[in-house]
Amino acid sequence: MKKKNITLKATKINGLPWILPAFIFVVGIIYYSIFYTFNLSTLDWNGLDPVQTRVGMSNFTKALSDWVFWKAIRNTIVFFIITFVIQNFLGFILAAILHTKVKLATVHKCLIFIPTILAPATMAPVFRLLFSPQGMLQDIFDTLHLGITVDWLSKPNSALFILMIVAVWEFTGMSFILYYAAMSQIDKEMLEASRLDGAGNFRTLWNMVLPNCKGTTVSLAMLGIIGALKTFDIPYLITTGGPNHATEFLGTYIYRQGIRQSHLGYAAAISVMLLVLAISGAILINKMNKGDEK
Amino acid sequence: MKKARVVLVVLVALMLMMTTVLAGCSSSKKTEDTSTETSGEVVWWGWTPGSPTNEKYIAEFNKQYPNIKVTWKQTSIDDYDAAIKPALANGQGVDAFEVSAGSGNGGVRVFGGQAIDLTDAVKKALGDDYKNKLNASSITTMTVDGKLKGLGVGTVYSGNLWINQDLFDKYNVKVPTNYEEWKTACKTFKEHGIDGFVQGAGQGAFNMDTFHAIADNVSPGTFTKATRGEVKWTDESIVKALELWKGLFDDGIMQKGALGLQQYPDANNLFMSQKAAMVMMGSWYTSNTLPDTMKAAIESASSSEKPFTLIPINFPDIAGTGKTGSMFGDLDYSTAVSATSKNIKAATTFAVWLGTSQSGQQIIADSLNVVPSLKSATPNWDSVKLVNPEKQNDAVKKYLENAMSSVDNARFAGINADMNQAMMDVLAGVAGGTITPKDGAAKLATTQADSK
Repeated sequence: MKKKNITLKATKINGLPWILPAFIFVVGIIYYSIFYTFNLSTLDWNGLDPVQTRVGMSNFTKALSDWVFWKAIRNTIVFFIITFVIQNFLGFILAAILHTKVKLATVHKCLIFIPTILAPATMAPVFRLLFSPQGMLQDIFDTLHLGITVDWLSKPNSALFILMIVAVWEFTGMSFILYYAAMSQIDKEMLEASRLDGAGNFRTLWNMVLPNCKGTTVSLAMLGIIGALKTFDIPYLITTGGPNHATEFLGTYIYRQGIRQSHLGYAAAISVMLLVLAISGAILINKMNKGDEK
Repeated sequence: MKKARVVLVVLVALMLMMTTVLAGCSSSKKTEDTSTETSGEVVWWGWTPGSPTNEKYIAEFNKQYPNIKVTWKQTSIDDYDAAIKPALANGQGVDAFEVSAGSGNGGVRVFGGQAIDLTDAVKKALGDDYKNKLNASSITTMTVDGKLKGLGVGTVYSGNLWINQDLFDKYNVKVPTNYEEWKTACKTFKEHGIDGFVQGAGQGAFNMDTFHAIADNVSPGTFTKATRGEVKWTDESIVKALELWKGLFDDGIMQKGALGLQQYPDANNLFMSQKAAMVMMGSWYTSNTLPDTMKAAIESASSSEKPFTLIPINFPDIAGTGKTGSMFGDLDYSTAVSATSKNIKAATTFAVWLGTSQSGQQIIADSLNVVPSLKSATPNWDSVKLVNPEKQNDAVKKYLENAMSSVDNARFAGINADMNQAMMDVLAGVAGGTITPKDGAAKLATTQADSK
């Protein structure tokens, strides 16, 4: 037995040396970037001037009294809640459907996933025109004599909603793929047993499938929070954060402050706050998940 | 456990080493200039006027300097700052780059620190009396801390509208000169399925032009005085101008959904594809009266329409004061030379040629994109062929003469980045009804007081 254990130990490969170079490089850059950004956040600097003025924590106190910053936070929360619920609901249902006998299932899977891999830069002008009074949607409404004007991107109340539609369209594929994989891991005998007990489709989905996909839901929640916090491409390319900051997110505001207005220190301060929010969100989700498990 | 602790210490040490190495990697090394005044490779960054015009300038330059290879690198106006900042900070890949007046897009106040002083180069080219040979603003707005950081290529002016005269003729619509005529014209065009007036009000800079034009219509010069702090932003003429601005949206002059569109590419494409009859653009739009430039613009709009008769008209007298025709302008762009370029001499030759030479400024004049900085360069109307010379020649000449005669009415040069943002926010807010004109004016006043 002792000889067998020695042999087993000898054949175990230590993976650490293999990942070490990449690990140091990636982590090194990440930590360097974080510390550098924190240093920037204590400066009043335009990013190019040789003169940098140290201002301590005043960029952070400025952010806390900045209405646009709080608008961006509100937009992020609303964006996360609504897109998370809709994306995952759709992804879950589509995954369940495609686990049944559906014709051309592979084609459907591809079609559902394609939006996820499309570049936002190519989608954004399409959606901007689609939702404009000169776009295809307006043509359809006019043909049907519905009397609706498609000027939703120009209105503060509806512009955010349109961005959420775009985000749901883009990322439902991701939820779908993860739920599909999770459902594939569920023991089929368990599902058959529930059928024998008389459970219908809805009951099976709700009481058997959904609980078994909890890990996926938690992962999607974590990704969703981080994704919502760093949302940039869709609002920037479609509305540039307007009209009048109605679709401002932390990412777009950081860009506006750092690049357009050359307040790099202030932009860095908001970036640090974004990092803190992202870490806090991830810890919260994790704790809630562990609490449920207990 | 001991082994794990050793591994952890080694990891932390290696990470600290990595961060130190990265922190030490800076571009503070002095770069060697490998070019000469007649040979080298220059990468020229900018946002305007765009291909094919820039390539025409380069081709003309190469007739005199065949051994200086110039490559034009274009970004959109909105992406320019984001693209060039890291390139300049990195110190590589930028030899000559465009800058503008003030601290807005490509502002010399932001980017001038990365550029060399061109005073000696200009003196060498034009003599000690160079200031008499160039437009005053091309010197004053490009001088930062006593150093000439950019050479002005040409000035653009705004304050007018451009119309598609062919559409006006087709639908028998009167060219508007006041508010009621403008409303009527827009209504008539709408009945025929096209927008009367189109603006990408989602792109704030062009809203500022419209607002400036309205303010000058209400009380000429007040806007410029307000930017200098000589008049308060809460002045009743400014509030009136904001009310009139809102009226454009409420009364159907601004097309529906204007706040959701960008001036470039959306509004420009709609106008170029003849889905709109009027647009507010400035003197940079004059180049679209040339057949080649207009064809390229129409193709970019994914349209197969033929070139049309593009005519400039005065901003309608919407305030009813009779005070129209006001134009305001800045240097559209200047050429700066990067202090960390490996081709400083060649890049300087290019910048000086473009901004001060008769041949360089003549091609600028003939492109009708900007009004050249060199006083002696004017468009050669004998060789410039417009789309519809009969209807356009006189109108365009008169328009450019009027623009050039505008005095002391800067477009963006007097507005810093914070005021720029505040003005865009106020105009969008007033248009969208989320802020009243009075409160908007107050916000401008507060921002001006708080900003540096």
